[in-house]
Amino acid sequence: MNEVTQEGILKLLCQRLTGLTKADFEITSETNLITQLAIDSIKLLNLIMEIEDNFDISVPVNALTDVITVRDLADLIYRIKSESK
Amino acid sequence: MSSTIIKLGDPTMQESDFHPSDEVSVKMIPTPTLNELSQRLADFETLTDALEYAAKGVTGYNFYDAKGGLRSVLPYRTLKVNAQSKARRLLSLGFSHGSRVALIADTSPEFIELFFACRYAGLVPFAMPIPVNLGSHSIYVRQLQGMLESSGASAAIANLDYLSFLKEASDGLSNDHLKWVGTSAQLDLLPKSDKALKSNTPSETAYLQFTSGSTRMPRGVVITEEALMCNLRGIVRNGLDVNPGDRCASWLPFYHDMGLVGLVLSPMAAQLTVDYLATRDFAIRPLQWLKLISRNRCTIAFSQPFGLKLCALRVRDSDLEELDLSCWRAAGIGAEMIRPEILRNFADKFASAGFSDRAFLPCYGLAESTLAVSFTKINRGIESLKVDTKTLVEKRMAVRVQAEGRKFNEFVNCGRPLPEHTVKIVDENGQELPQMMVGSVLVKGGSIMTGYFNNQEETDKALKSGGWLDTGDIGFLFDGDLYITGRKTDVIIVNGRNIRAQDIEELAEQQSEVRSREASAFGISDSNGATTVVLVVECRLTSMEERQLLINRLQQLVYMAFGVNCLVELVPPHTLPRTSSGKLSRFAARQGFLQRANMIDQLPTASLSGDR
Repeated sequence: MNEVTQEGILKLLCQRLTGLTKADFEITSETNLITQLAIDSIKLLNLIMEIEDNFDISVPVNALTDVITVRDLADLIYRIKSESK
Repeated sequence: MSSTIIKLGDPTMQESDFHPSDEVSVKMIPTPTLNELSQRLADFETLTDALEYAAKGVTGYNFYDAKGGLRSVLPYRTLKVNAQSKARRLLSLGFSHGSRVALIADTSPEFIELFFACRYAGLVPFAMPIPVNLGSHSIYVRQLQGMLESSGASAAIANLDYLSFLKEASDGLSNDHLKWVGTSAQLDLLPKSDKALKSNTPSETAYLQFTSGSTRMPRGVVITEEALMCNLRGIVRNGLDVNPGDRCASWLPFYHDMGLVGLVLSPMAAQLTVDYLATRDFAIRPLQWLKLISRNRCTIAFSQPFGLKLCALRVRDSDLEELDLSCWRAAGIGAEMIRPEILRNFADKFASAGFSDRAFLPCYGLAESTLAVSFTKINRGIESLKVDTKTLVEKRMAVRVQAEGRKFNEFVNCGRPLPEHTVKIVDENGQELPQMMVGSVLVKGGSIMTGYFNNQEETDKALKSGGWLDTGDIGFLFDGDLYITGRKTDVIIVNGRNIRAQDIEELAEQQSEVRSREASAFGISDSNGATTVVLVVECRLTSMEERQLLINRLQQLVYMAFGVNCLVELVPPHTLPRTSSGKLSRFAARQGFLQRANMIDQLPTASLSGDR
């Protein structure tokens, strides 16, 4: 499980978000999920499902309240993943 | 039923016949469907009376995790014991009778225990939401503060996951009513009062139900024991025609009226077992709900149309082979305008899994009438009327389409009012309209709220003379059945969430660049029926950069508070249309927006609403 790095998570998220939102610009760690990607509730649920399946973690609802950018989300996944080891 | 389903245990059998297939579930067995007690259909005076009776049987609540595993079991007899014990600990805090207790309502046994503990202790509980939106931290805390202040709550309780939000909220309160904040486990460390638990009276307040996400003006609906029991009777007898073989499944949040009254309190009042899935787990993996229904042979399960849409979106053919939904006899549909296509699509998708479209049970209700107002007849499915659009718009009259090719609107029959309830349709002047004429839907009867807690102004707006509640919905009656055609434009419904336009405008007006009464919010729908929130703001900023920053900030705030995307338009001052009394007209603001955006085709539907 140690091979999962913060950078690796970030890269995967940017990739998945590009597919999910069909953004016509490059998604980076600083991209704002709400104003720039306009993630609606169905897309958000899809993304969480993919994250949970991919990293074999459970993302608690209360944790999303401090997520605004792609980096916030990557940090959260990394934290949950590290704690679940 | 496939063999794997049987192996997982059939809870319709008596407990003694249950043979768990693995070690883990040996200790935990879901409560059975069949009771050892003769069924009483909500003929109780108070909620605790109902629980006293249910506790004599073997049924109760079961909580499942995201993977479908049984997480905890709360039989009614255990609930009674735990609730009474917690009630004594609450009493030791010395609050006066009728003091409010705030509970963050995640889908957990603790919430239900605390809810009933409050009633045993003569306290008034109310459910607060859990945070679900990205980046919503500070807005969520403000929403909690709004409810704590408006209710004057004496205690606030949350599970560990949400305690930090509650602590944050309680630190910044403008009044000093709140005396105790903690978890259910911390409450259990308090001493037990030796005062006797007194029974409740039918006329006292049973609970509050908050209906708005406003941070400044939350509205807590006051429901008495009497009103609650009246509604529960209506639901289990007339709405659902409950029998001893029924079993419920639910993913609805406990902080919504349909989740709490419909799928926590109603089943208990009829001694039925309920299987719960947390809302979050349903939203991510909706098929788990259907698997639960299939595996546990559930007969009653409610959803908003949005929930059914999620199921139909996510289902794969392999899922269908595993499912047997033939047991599902009452698929209650409520909480928003019902679009028949979503239901038909669901029925088509799941017909091969045994789902019968006759199970659809459209109903209508609102928290201000406890929950339910009307139900269609059981086992009839969706019945709808196709109504000529032109006559509807021009004459506000529902006329069935006669000729092929005429443009029509289809409306779902929401059935007849429950016994002890009357529905009437009135025009702008409060004059009752004949059937087929479209107007405001008013309800009168035993389930109507006392008012909004500590908010006479909003109460006076909703409760009209003669005990009539203005529901805020628009509709017509036909052959005694109610059809809802829309809402007044003060509520926008997006993906099953009801959002008050006023709450969005209030968020905008809290920005330093926006003056009071210079923001207008409304919804527009595309041809697929998807609704977008539009926020039009009068703006004096001239720098393009500052304007863009304001737009971004407003979009982000609306998302954080309500979880929806929003289209923000900045317009010059004095663009928004005002009424003669200087009030903004959302209806006119919406028309202006559609004209500017060249979306004229949407204009006719706008006039279906009642707000002028």
